[in-house]
Amino acid sequence: MIPFRKVLVANRGEIALRVCRTLREMDLPSITVYSEADRGAPHARAGDESTSIGPADPARSYLDMGRILETARRMGADAIHPGYGFLAERAEFSRACRDAGIAFIGPSPESMERLGDKAAARRAAIRLGVPVVPGAEEIDSPERALAEAARIGYPVLLKAAGGGGGRGMRRVDEPGGIQAALEGARREAEAAFGDARVLLEKCVHPARHVEVQILADGKDATALGERECSLQRRYQKVIEESPSPALPATTREAMERAAVALARDAGYSGAATVEFLLDPDGSFYFLEVNARLQVEHPVTEARFGLDLVRAQLEIAAGGPIPSRPAPRGHAIEARLNAEDPYKGYLPQAGRVLLLAWPHGEGIRVDAGIAEGQTLQTHYDSLLAKVIAHGRDREEARARLLRALRETALLGVVTNQGFLIDILEDEAFARGETFTHTLESRKWTAPGTVPDEALLAAAVAVSAPRVPHGGEGDDADRFSPWRNLGPWGRPAPAAEGAWP
Amino acid sequence: MSRPLTFRWQGRAVDLELEIRAPHAAVTHEGRRIEAVFRRDGDWIELRRGAAATRCAAIAGSRGVWVSHEGRAYHLERVHREAPARTGPAAAEVRAPMTGRIVSVSARAGNASREGELLVTMEAMKMEFRLTAPEDGAILEVACEPGDRVELGQLLVRLAPPGEAEPR
Repeated sequence: MIPFRKVLVANRGEIALRVCRTLREMDLPSITVYSEADRGAPHARAGDESTSIGPADPARSYLDMGRILETARRMGADAIHPGYGFLAERAEFSRACRDAGIAFIGPSPESMERLGDKAAARRAAIRLGVPVVPGAEEIDSPERALAEAARIGYPVLLKAAGGGGGRGMRRVDEPGGIQAALEGARREAEAAFGDARVLLEKCVHPARHVEVQILADGKDATALGERECSLQRRYQKVIEESPSPALPATTREAMERAAVALARDAGYSGAATVEFLLDPDGSFYFLEVNARLQVEHPVTEARFGLDLVRAQLEIAAGGPIPSRPAPRGHAIEARLNAEDPYKGYLPQAGRVLLLAWPHGEGIRVDAGIAEGQTLQTHYDSLLAKVIAHGRDREEARARLLRALRETALLGVVTNQGFLIDILEDEAFARGETFTHTLESRKWTAPGTVPDEALLAAAVAVSAPRVPHGGEGDDADRFSPWRNLGPWGRPAPAAEGAWP
Repeated sequence: MSRPLTFRWQGRAVDLELEIRAPHAAVTHEGRRIEAVFRRDGDWIELRRGAAATRCAAIAGSRGVWVSHEGRAYHLERVHREAPARTGPAAAEVRAPMTGRIVSVSARAGNASREGELLVTMEAMKMEFRLTAPEDGAILEVACEPGDRVELGQLLVRLAPPGEAEPR
């Protein structure tokens, strides 16, 4: 069924590890690749074989098509899984793989060009009668942007034509903001996608972001329900769930039909996500197609009991679309990021001193970090995803809260407490989630340190550390106490009272 | 026998009086006495207060103690006795909050700047971040240029509080 000998995973972090897990289940040998900055990262050890592909700069490592293809050939891989981001939506990479006789685990370059490009996908949607947000393509000058914005009405969004993920996206509320926003959007689009083209759209408000998961085999397509991903910061998703708490069955069916029509029309093959904006009046607008696996795919996997990476591999090998199981329950995912949500989401670096993940019924953790690893700010700030599945939304929410409270990550500032804030929030519990929710409300950091944390800090600096389990030597354990005295001063003994 | 201990958290001093005699721990903070029975287990500290038990992870880093409690992390920084926390800096510094690239520089040495005014735009992780003036003041020094690669913590702009330096 699967004619691949060996699969190269052209990505990093949690998604590289997640793809490797499925490859192991399928008894397919794997290769992982890493940049010099990622030498200490877990994905650099996750494959059956691993190799360095260049310096930290992504353009010279994870985005270097020639280097990755050459590595695949040299190490005997006959398939490449691109994950998400990096090369996942580069039609020229899909084409280069085909020309080299290597299977690209994703769509053909032709269908990627038809659907992955925002402007082309929008034209296809209009032709197929799928509603789209009013807007204009090829915004190449401030004059054109001003004219189109005046026609459509403010507020408007400027977006990169060549890719997703919120990069190169700007909201503009009045004509005076157009020029700076256009320059910024073009610069970010160029840096992120090597493509500075920008389009302009009406900003629907208040909106929900709802997307449909698709599996297609080049002829037919199946929809696997929706995910609601309205909770975003800087246009990047933070919490995702399935089903949407606000989607009537008839609207869901209409969205699924629209998504399937787009995939069939493009002769699409593989996994894709069709994104829509849901207006409060119940109407919806097509936004774009993500011609790849999404970060938030585990919520769909949890509800349908399907492995989407396995489905991608089977379809790429010429197999059929897996039959669609009945969805059950509710799933919610939280993205754990190395960023300070209370200080403008600034990216954070540092060494992971301690790491403990949650366990239990209905909990899944897709992580890309390890204890002792030094995190840098060369790449995306996503560290891990914690996913909870329950019989209904409230059970999934309670499980995810419990799981996040059990998670411990020390040494690097993360958004963990902020994720807990959101899940504890009454509006979230009622399902009131909109694309502006996170940024329009004031979220404040805790004002005091809890009593238990003060006691723990006092004990940590005063009482001798006892090895885990209470006995034996833990010399093999990474510990800053072992080599340094308190606060980095060389100490005569490994343990010492402080100060 | 108790001893004093001062941490800094979120820029504020956290003064504690400690009494630790295993398995009993007591901390007096802002006039309140907090007691627990504790047990250490590797990097975890189990605390029992009356009927309630809690597990916290706690580990010493290079600048202080990190504690995880109920899914929230607290970094309690060490306060050097010999160098107490300054009450007000003589000059405000804008430092790179991450490793990245300078996209544009709006700050000009010698100009006045208002709190919240854009000084420098940085790019990291393919996103742009706007660094703004933390307070009103005169710009003393601009230590970066568009296109520079800068490291975490690198000085970018120095500002003098109003009154300490007159803008030209």
